[in-house]
Amino acid sequence: MQIKIVIGTIAFMIAMMVLGYSALREPSRMERFTDAELGRSIEAGAEIFANNCATCHGVDGTAQECFDTTGNQIACQGLPLNYNGLLCGDVSQRMSDMGWTGTKHDYILTTVSAGRGSIMPTWSDAFGGPLRPDQIRNVTNFVLNYESEALCSQPLVTYEWPESATDFLAGPDITAPGDPARGQELFTVTYGCSACHGTIDGSTPAAIGPSLVDIETVGATMVEGMDAQQYVYHSILYPSDFIAPECPTGPCAGPPSVMPANFGARMGENPQDMADILAYLLGQ
Amino acid sequence: MATFVEQVREMGIKKAVVTKSDEIVERLTAGMNINDIRAALRGDEPRRPNPRLRPHADGFWLHIRPSFYHTGVTNIYPTFRLGWLSTFMLVWETITGLILMVFYTPSPLVAYGNMWNILGNVPLGQLFRNMHRLGAEVMVLVVAMHMLRTFITGSYKKPRQFTWATGMLLLLFTIFLSFSGYLLPWDQLAYWALTVFISGGAAAPAPAFVNDTVLLVLQGGPALGADGLLRWYLLHVLLLPLLAGIFFFVHYYKVVLYGISLPPGREQVGEDTAKRVPKDERTYFNPDILTSELMWTALATLFLVAGALWLWDAPLETHADPVVTPLHVVAPWYLSWSQGWLKLADKTLVVGFIPLLLVSFIIMPYIEVGKSRRYADRRVGLTVAFLFIAFMLVSNWMGSPEFRVQSSPDREVSIQLLPEEGPGGLKGIPYEHMTPGTYSPGQVIDGNPFLTRGLELFQQAMYQQSCTLTGNPQWAPCNVEELENGGHRYSNFFTTDAMPDPIAHLEIVEIQPNLKEMTLHYEVTNPDTGEVTETVWIRPRHAFSNYEEECRFLNKSCATD
Ligand code: HEM
Repeated sequence: MQIKIVIGTIAFMIAMMVLGYSALREPSRMERFTDAELGRSIEAGAEIFANNCATCHGVDGTAQECFDTTGNQIACQGLPLNYNGLLCGDVSQRMSDMGWTGTKHDYILTTVSAGRGSIMPTWSDAFGGPLRPDQIRNVTNFVLNYESEALCSQPLVTYEWPESATDFLAGPDITAPGDPARGQELFTVTYGCSACHGTIDGSTPAAIGPSLVDIETVGATMVEGMDAQQYVYHSILYPSDFIAPECPTGPCAGPPSVMPANFGARMGENPQDMADILAYLLGQ
Repeated sequence: MATFVEQVREMGIKKAVVTKSDEIVERLTAGMNINDIRAALRGDEPRRPNPRLRPHADGFWLHIRPSFYHTGVTNIYPTFRLGWLSTFMLVWETITGLILMVFYTPSPLVAYGNMWNILGNVPLGQLFRNMHRLGAEVMVLVVAMHMLRTFITGSYKKPRQFTWATGMLLLLFTIFLSFSGYLLPWDQLAYWALTVFISGGAAAPAPAFVNDTVLLVLQGGPALGADGLLRWYLLHVLLLPLLAGIFFFVHYYKVVLYGISLPPGREQVGEDTAKRVPKDERTYFNPDILTSELMWTALATLFLVAGALWLWDAPLETHADPVVTPLHVVAPWYLSWSQGWLKLADKTLVVGFIPLLLVSFIIMPYIEVGKSRRYADRRVGLTVAFLFIAFMLVSNWMGSPEFRVQSSPDREVSIQLLPEEGPGGLKGIPYEHMTPGTYSPGQVIDGNPFLTRGLELFQQAMYQQSCTLTGNPQWAPCNVEELENGGHRYSNFFTTDAMPDPIAHLEIVEIQPNLKEMTLHYEVTNPDTGEVTETVWIRPRHAFSNYEEECRFLNKSCATD
């Protein structure tokens, strides 16, 4: 019996020492597993990206090389994601353009979940999309992982809007005249202008901002020396410069205008948007 | 009785404290004071009346234990301590399980994240997960071995038939406890093992609406989802432990009632003398059996702690995905035999056979009524038992991943080297040794033993799945078989569907900071038509993913050495 007591006591002590030893190495072990969780999430995100996102945002996320399911190269329809304006800084350029006050992670997660406009689909199954919450988190982690020192040391490309609309439309990046059908899409969906201004055929009346029905003629009468095109162009970029007299609820307020001042920055990522909206509003 | 203060006044502080402690110890042990305990530990004879028997009469815990055993059953043989060990495992699983429960929510939204939280955020979390999971598998093994020993020693015979019957139920609950816990991590491994088994169960020889209803109840919907997970969780933490607990006490009560059976040779045929223990053959529980049990508790704890720390890691695959079926769904080893049976017989037959088998095991002692427990008198029974064990082992092997249906040869190579789940040949290469570039199988990379080893594994895997028609010495020669449709099938020593003269390479590119993509390219030319088939298999690999650690524990052929 004595021997059993000795064996039992020793075994118990060794077991406790083993526990103590493993407790000592816990901090580094936990760190490895926390890292591994992120690493594997990014791996899973990489596959989701390749299967769902690369057709529009490009195989390397720069929206330059896109392929359809049969492997033919097609035009990229999405914005670049492997892009310093999205990923660099605590508040990246695109976040401030969009007036996003949350974190970068949440900005991407929300955009992926809920989609944007009619081209970027809603991906989260909470909104009828195909991806589960964990998959949304994985692909978000993957996109965030494009951030690197090399990427963020590149200068931010910002678009310099020319003073005059005519110069703008003659610019090298612009296909003039714009595409009014796409302009309508941008006006009603992507930028949501119609939420305040109503539709230009008057079928939905303006709600907050001035009505834009007949803006192609009315616009020319607003400011001395400005034609309708220049007036609309300038007002989109600098809403507070000219305050329209009549809004649905009485005289328009301002300056500053109620209209967001960030459309210039947002359209700066794809200036063709401006050309298309002008084409749509001015009925060219 | 005098109060403590009065005692101090009467006999001084020291003596009063000793007297008081003695009193407290005697109350806690329900009858033994400090001197009695010391005497017991020294191995002295007890005083009269024997204080070591009082805890059995007055205390709750010892009242469920007999106060002495027949010395003939206290050695390793005949019990091998297996019944005790089963009990220990039940307690062990309860304790480790309760701790894990603190960090777990049974919902598909968070369950998988909970596992990572346990691994990466809870101090000793991985150890407890490993101990619980290792414990679950050890418990199945221990209980099965306990059953085997009670069969071999003929302990199931009259009057212990009912003990055996409740034991069978305990085995069933043990397996179901293990299996229901299998689902909870909500990873691919868990999800698909359960899905396959539940849907297999629905092939029972019963009217379709019965099967459909059972399936619906077990899955909680058309497929396993939130409701299903909750149900299996409640089975795992509530219903099954409750049933196991109840039947454990019934089982143990019967053991105490009839006494543990003596080694078969020690009593006359047809006699049961376990309860008639002569004075000189008694081993008292207090202190001998108790000491021995405490020693075994310490040893078993040491084994499980060390095993969970150094020998084995609980697996965790990627998040459960109901739309992506893994190539090879594997059952846990203790159910592998049933997958083996599916390869031998029709599903309905197998599913119908299992409950029959269970029932026949339960009623076996009421039918097999041979009087003698001696081995020499039970040649037929023992032979049948060993044949059955052999059959189960073979079935288990047939159900294991080694014995599986082949997919296409290039996929076989791919999943050996870069499986979707868990570690594999190329996944174990440390990140910094995954030098971007294009490599062919078997290539030697100077100064990079890991990649070299990986490419060697690539070569080996390709060798098994390829053959040559053109005499390329890299591959084994092709056996060509004419098919009915006029085509040909190529095979080699290992594989029926081999790739004839394949060209294959591995490409590594860095696609993001700390993220590389490994691509396996295969190019096979059909010798009949000259048509070229190109396939690729792409797996991303992040610097932090740490498959090396899994490789080390899961003993897969990884290129880590
Ligand atoms: C959770 C599962 C089980 C537990 C905790 C358990 C526990 C025990 C314990 C503590 C004993 C005392 C004797 C010994 O240590 O061998 C015992 C005896 C016995 N058990 Fe179990 N048991 C379990 C499962 C089974 C199974 C699966 C069977 C067989 C189908 C079985 C059949 C018996 C029989 C027949 C005895 C009497 C042995 C004798 O008197 O020699 N038990 N069990």
